[in-house]
Amino acid sequence: MNVEVLILFLNATLVTVVSSIVVIAILRKQYLPVIRELEKKEEQEVNADDENKHIKSNI
Amino acid sequence: MALTIFALVLLLYVLAGAFIARYVKNSDDFYTMGGRGSTLLIVGTLAATYLSAATLLGIAGVSYAEGPLVIATLGSFGAWIGTLLAVVYVGRKMKALNCKTMPDFFDKRFNNKWVSIIAIVIMIVGLVGYGVIQFIGAGLVLSEITGINFKLLIVLFTVALIAFTAFGGMYGVVVTDTLMFFTMLAISVVIAPMIIGQAGFEQMKGLSETLPNFWTIGGTEDRSIGWSISQFLVWILFFTCMPALVSRVFPAKNDFVILKTAIIGVFFAPFMQLTVFIAAGGMQVLKPNITPADNAMIVGFMEFTTPAIAGVGLAALMASIMSTASTLFVLVGFALSRDLYERLFEKELNEKQSLTAARIGQVIVAVVICAIAIAQPSAIYWISIYAGSIFAVGWLPTIVASFEWKKMNSKAASISMVAGVASFILFGELIKAGVMTLPTGVDELMLALLVSVATLIIAALVTKPTTYELNYFTEMKSTGMAKITIQEFMKQPDGLQKIKKQYKQIITVSVLFTFISVVVWGYFFIKLGL
Repeated sequence: MNVEVLILFLNATLVTVVSSIVVIAILRKQYLPVIRELEKKEEQEVNADDENKHIKSNI
Repeated sequence: MALTIFALVLLLYVLAGAFIARYVKNSDDFYTMGGRGSTLLIVGTLAATYLSAATLLGIAGVSYAEGPLVIATLGSFGAWIGTLLAVVYVGRKMKALNCKTMPDFFDKRFNNKWVSIIAIVIMIVGLVGYGVIQFIGAGLVLSEITGINFKLLIVLFTVALIAFTAFGGMYGVVVTDTLMFFTMLAISVVIAPMIIGQAGFEQMKGLSETLPNFWTIGGTEDRSIGWSISQFLVWILFFTCMPALVSRVFPAKNDFVILKTAIIGVFFAPFMQLTVFIAAGGMQVLKPNITPADNAMIVGFMEFTTPAIAGVGLAALMASIMSTASTLFVLVGFALSRDLYERLFEKELNEKQSLTAARIGQVIVAVVICAIAIAQPSAIYWISIYAGSIFAVGWLPTIVASFEWKKMNSKAASISMVAGVASFILFGELIKAGVMTLPTGVDELMLALLVSVATLIIAALVTKPTTYELNYFTEMKSTGMAKITIQEFMKQPDGLQKIKKQYKQIITVSVLFTFISVVVWGYFFIKLGL
């Protein structure tokens, strides 16, 4: 096995692996918390709507 | 046939330029295509920079003569990582700060004329020195193939380039770059495999017997590992802040486009370059003793493919020249019209005047560069020695410190940029004159970078940032592409669902391209390394 050829193709693969890791890290750090927060807010709004409908139907 | 292809390719780009001009309604369209760049266009324009004339002729020539590992293993690896940093770190941050050109950032961050002037001078000298030499070199090769007089060829190129740079601006460059990207891709997916197939993996591996060290990092010239590490540093530092790469991010529609580009666009860097370098190695089996070695790939597609494919190869060579030149024209033109004329001279222009100034800037730059390319003054060769690397020693320390350090200020920026560039040229000239010698593995770029960083730190510590600089730093830290994109999406109906869809798409893209990368390079390793 030619180790230097291995290094060449390992580097070529590593570039895509590193870019994927960096991008996924950005998504998890900068997007995921916001998505979860917005989902929670949306859920609360739906629950509040349901409650309102329930109260109105009881009246 | 060569003449017909030459005429058809030029005509195609002129028509594309004329068509795009209809979509340019204001200066925003001209400078950043109105922020409408899709993933395809941003990946296309970024990837079109990978196969420049230097790659297709110069580095392919070294791969042919000394072995494909010599520059690719560490030098090109540095360039690929540098491209990633240019997109996700420098470009993404500057885009969030609403920069339309790179000098815009220096202007916004320091609000100081001297810093802006120094930054613009570095950019113009760096781009002209780096681009014009490639324009001349590739033009000479193309003139030999087509039989067209070199001067006439340069004039024809310039006229075609004006058609889409002066009328379409960045919009024109992004769209034509994407067209060029697909032409260039033909070299990597059709021509290179044809050459490698004819040479044969076993015969290519066997080259080590006739050319010792052909499949080593040192190559047949047995270059030191220090030289290879130095190449890695040069390319990673240069590419991280290279305007031709960073400014590709500015037309992106949103952060999701930038993040997808970071994966797909960066994947194409080794994919487009390495296949060419390996094929150039294969040419050593098919036709040894090509002189000059820079012509290895041209001989490859003219003599070892069918006439139709050779035509595509010729069109790709033209695309590589035009892509490099159009980037050079458009960025230097922007520096002239926007950074120097509008901002620095504080000209109050309305939308129409601003667009006219931008177009005049493009024509002036095109005419000047055309004249330089035809006259070939000796000074341009001297500038080209230092051109590429001055971004690394002049801009990079200032950009990184401006992003990350609260104490960073205009005095530190000016001193660091001037000291970095001046020491780089001084060390280079002293070494050439034999007055100064450096240990193996150390070169003038490393020393100049050290000078640039040291002067920056000292100057920033002994001086104080202005209130404006402190306020802008705080504002900059609270701004980010993710925040802007989320806000934009949440204004749309079903905004959250759209964000979640993009999130999943990017994860899929990253997994898919990692898989493709492992398969492609794993295949080559099995064939050439085992």
